[in-house]
Amino acid sequence: MHDADIKACEEVIEMATVAESKWEIKVPDKPLKDKVYFENLKSVVIDTEICSRCLTCASVCPGGIIVVGDKVDFPDYETKCLDCGACVRVCPRFVYEPLSGMGSSTAFIAGRSKRFAGQDGAMVTELIVSAMEMGIIDRGLFAGRNENWETEMFHVCDPEQLAITTLSGTKYTFADVLPELKKAVKFTKSGVGVVGTPCIVSGVRKLQQEYPIFREKVKLVVGLFCTENFHYSAISQYLCDKGVDFSKLVKTDITMGKFIATMTDSEVKFKVKALEEILPSGCNVCCDFTAVEADASVGSVGSVPGYSTISVREAIAVKILDYIKEKGYAEFGEADPGQLGFLVGHKKKRAENLKK
Amino acid sequence: MKKVTVQDQGVVEKTKCHAAAIGVAMKESVYPLTATVQYPRQRKKMPDNFRGYILFDPDKCINCWECAFICPANAIRMKEAPNKKYYPTIDYGKCIFCHFCIDSCTDSALRTTKIHDVAYKDMDEMVTLTEEMIEPPEIVREDTKLVEYLIDDKDLQMKKTREVDNLFVDEVPPSVEIPVVSQCIDGASCIGCHVCEYVCGSGAISSSIANGVMNMAIDTDNCTGCGLCVKECTMQILKLVRK
Amino acid sequence: MQEVINELLETMMSNQVSVPVIQPVIDMAAQMPMVGLGISFILWTPIFALLICPGLSTLGIFLLFFPWIERKLCARIQWRVGPREIVPWLGGLIQLLADTLRFLFQEVIVHKDAHRPYFLQFAFLSFAAALLPLLFINAGDVIAIASPYGVQLLLALVCLFPLFILGLGWASNSRFAFIGSVREAFMYFAYEIPFIIAVLAMVILFGTSNPILIPDKWGIILNPIAAFTFFVGAAMATSRMPFEIPEADQEVAAGPHVEYSGIAFGLIYVMCYEKAYILSTLMVVLFLGGGSGPDIPGLTVHLGDLMGIVWFLLKVIIVMTTMFVLRTIYPRYRLDQGLTIGWGAMIAISLVALAWSIVFVFMQQGGVL
Repeated sequence: MHDADIKACEEVIEMATVAESKWEIKVPDKPLKDKVYFENLKSVVIDTEICSRCLTCASVCPGGIIVVGDKVDFPDYETKCLDCGACVRVCPRFVYEPLSGMGSSTAFIAGRSKRFAGQDGAMVTELIVSAMEMGIIDRGLFAGRNENWETEMFHVCDPEQLAITTLSGTKYTFADVLPELKKAVKFTKSGVGVVGTPCIVSGVRKLQQEYPIFREKVKLVVGLFCTENFHYSAISQYLCDKGVDFSKLVKTDITMGKFIATMTDSEVKFKVKALEEILPSGCNVCCDFTAVEADASVGSVGSVPGYSTISVREAIAVKILDYIKEKGYAEFGEADPGQLGFLVGHKKKRAENLKK
Repeated sequence: MKKVTVQDQGVVEKTKCHAAAIGVAMKESVYPLTATVQYPRQRKKMPDNFRGYILFDPDKCINCWECAFICPANAIRMKEAPNKKYYPTIDYGKCIFCHFCIDSCTDSALRTTKIHDVAYKDMDEMVTLTEEMIEPPEIVREDTKLVEYLIDDKDLQMKKTREVDNLFVDEVPPSVEIPVVSQCIDGASCIGCHVCEYVCGSGAISSSIANGVMNMAIDTDNCTGCGLCVKECTMQILKLVRK
Repeated sequence: MQEVINELLETMMSNQVSVPVIQPVIDMAAQMPMVGLGISFILWTPIFALLICPGLSTLGIFLLFFPWIERKLCARIQWRVGPREIVPWLGGLIQLLADTLRFLFQEVIVHKDAHRPYFLQFAFLSFAAALLPLLFINAGDVIAIASPYGVQLLLALVCLFPLFILGLGWASNSRFAFIGSVREAFMYFAYEIPFIIAVLAMVILFGTSNPILIPDKWGIILNPIAAFTFFVGAAMATSRMPFEIPEADQEVAAGPHVEYSGIAFGLIYVMCYEKAYILSTLMVVLFLGGGSGPDIPGLTVHLGDLMGIVWFLLKVIIVMTTMFVLRTIYPRYRLDQGLTIGWGAMIAISLVALAWSIVFVFMQQGGVL
């Protein structure tokens, strides 16, 4: 090896602050003592149909739990599960205490990005890109979509990648954010920023609670206001039946109790209540509307059309918003928390479904 | 369009150049140097580190798959042997003879030779199976002389000796040996999947459970520094550290 | 009838090449009826010059072995080895023989677009027409036609060569052949004038244009400028580097030769060496005192006429070697550079040579020299 190589090795070794030969791992409790941990997870969360499909278990599993389409599944788990217990440790619903309400917030404002276009004010994109520019994170995880509106995950390391306009905008189907987060944490140097629904935010927080590496590497967690999400197969079929042409579809929106699918030449509207028949069981027991555990929560309710409502919770979000204000990248206005009252209460009621 | 003007040197300069050129030609015609190696009757002497045909010793292979991973041309494929271990096979149609595989082989199971002229009848023959890599290929030695170029500041000389080059090299010692061992840099982030323990070829990583706590340990004396556990760790919290 | 034959015999016997060494053998052979006639026919000077030296046989041997000498020598200078596989212990000596055999076995392809008559005729004609100037060259005392206008006739015949190359290129009806022959046409005009002026300068110097009567003085000393002009003109005429313009491999894919294969190509390839031979013989005669040389005590007497031939051949070999070694020293000139040299510097220098000759003659006649 040349001297340059030796130097490079030494640098890498110095980055590891503590190098040990021995370490300890917590062994979580097993309700079913003589079964593998995945079977435990299955019986407590998946078979009782409270699984929110956040995929935190899939992200941390060393064997790689395979998500078969809509449901979380692990074929051959009796022989292939390594019985490490990681999935049980990180599942937010293994010991489920549903969170609800408005959560704590230092500020409640409306914002509209001047640089990006998104669902409302594109403030999620603005927050993550600004965090990248500030150097807090070096990549953000965005959910894009293909022509059939199936979600695909992207690592955005450069604002220029956002020229792909499908990265912004709400997709009312599940996106595999957390397995992608695990990959991002492997490769990132300064930090990762992630966006997700309240179940995904809970998953991230559980990861950060259990494993320090996620505390170190996941620097920004943005939550979205969420009533429910849908499985792709179910909602695509429903929309097709309603006459939606996915090749012409431009925007999907749920507002004022109506689902609006905007196409290039027409529009399809119907009441959201009609979607109750395809509501996933995991969403049916979720009480968190405003993603109370996030650093900042963003949604459309509470501000005028074209603006996003931002509930600023943690210091990191305050810092980023100050930067945005300073650079003049967005316009800010007032948001009305009262408008959220109906939806927060609506979701709180779902705690009753849990008892069933 | 710009016209390119050549600096006019003047007649005297030009005549001198002509004279010098003709002088060189005359000198070379009388007392020349020949730089041609008349292969196959003569063979050029190759240094010991020459990157030639690759030979393999299965007894030393620890199945770390480093050679397959590092090959830039994807010429190495690992094939399963009857003893359930995986051994490399090289496709010489793709091999670029960079010898990254030999450099990365931890126990020097792969070694180099000075053979550079193996002929194949078709592309399929070029995929060399592991059994074929253990013994050297059939070589026809037509050469009777060995040619060496001796180069100093101004001059090139050819030295021809009536001996036949030995094509097989004894182990070439690596230039710098740095003993490294694997260590965990973030024990709290370990998920206890035991992949490192399963994958360690020398059994240096062990685990035990006591009182609801799992203890993992790396025996640095047994650790060969092959880096397999570092690559396979799910949370990527193992690193190679100097001993 | 009988008188005619007797006259012919007399002319023949009076003009024999005399080689004292083999004279006894000839005398013995002369006893035999037909063989004697045959031998005296061959030894009749014109026939000897035509068939043996400096005619066909010598030309043939030169063509067989000179490319080998050229390739080996150039390789030696360029740190290479040259041809060596044909007969390794001979050093690849019969390489040209192998090449000729190969050309003989190869098919002469005349492609559809070519003008078939001229395509084939020019190939063979060029070889044959190039032989004509040999009639007027003398090697020592051996000459085929000793005419008082020998040198001019020679010059006129030499000026015919490029026409055949033009014909080759035109008959091929191919892009590169066309470009090659156009380049040859350009260069032809460029070199011919200085060349002719240089020869004329020498004729004026010597006072005679009968090759036999040209004294054994070394023209290269008397008029070095004319010698230089002649040499460069000869290099241009034979398409030798640095003037390999019409048939540059890398630029016009062998120019006029490009469409030829088989024995036609073989003849054209060898025509270049033929031209070089003829121009070298002319150079030896005019400038190097062709055929004359120092007296070697035992040999001169015994060899008689052959001595002149031996010296002549030696000098021709030296001149040809020098011409061929030029390719290892110089890179190729561009067409416009070649033309500039031909029409510019060369005409000037040749006129200077002419002037020098005239001055020299005046001074000689005036009794100064």
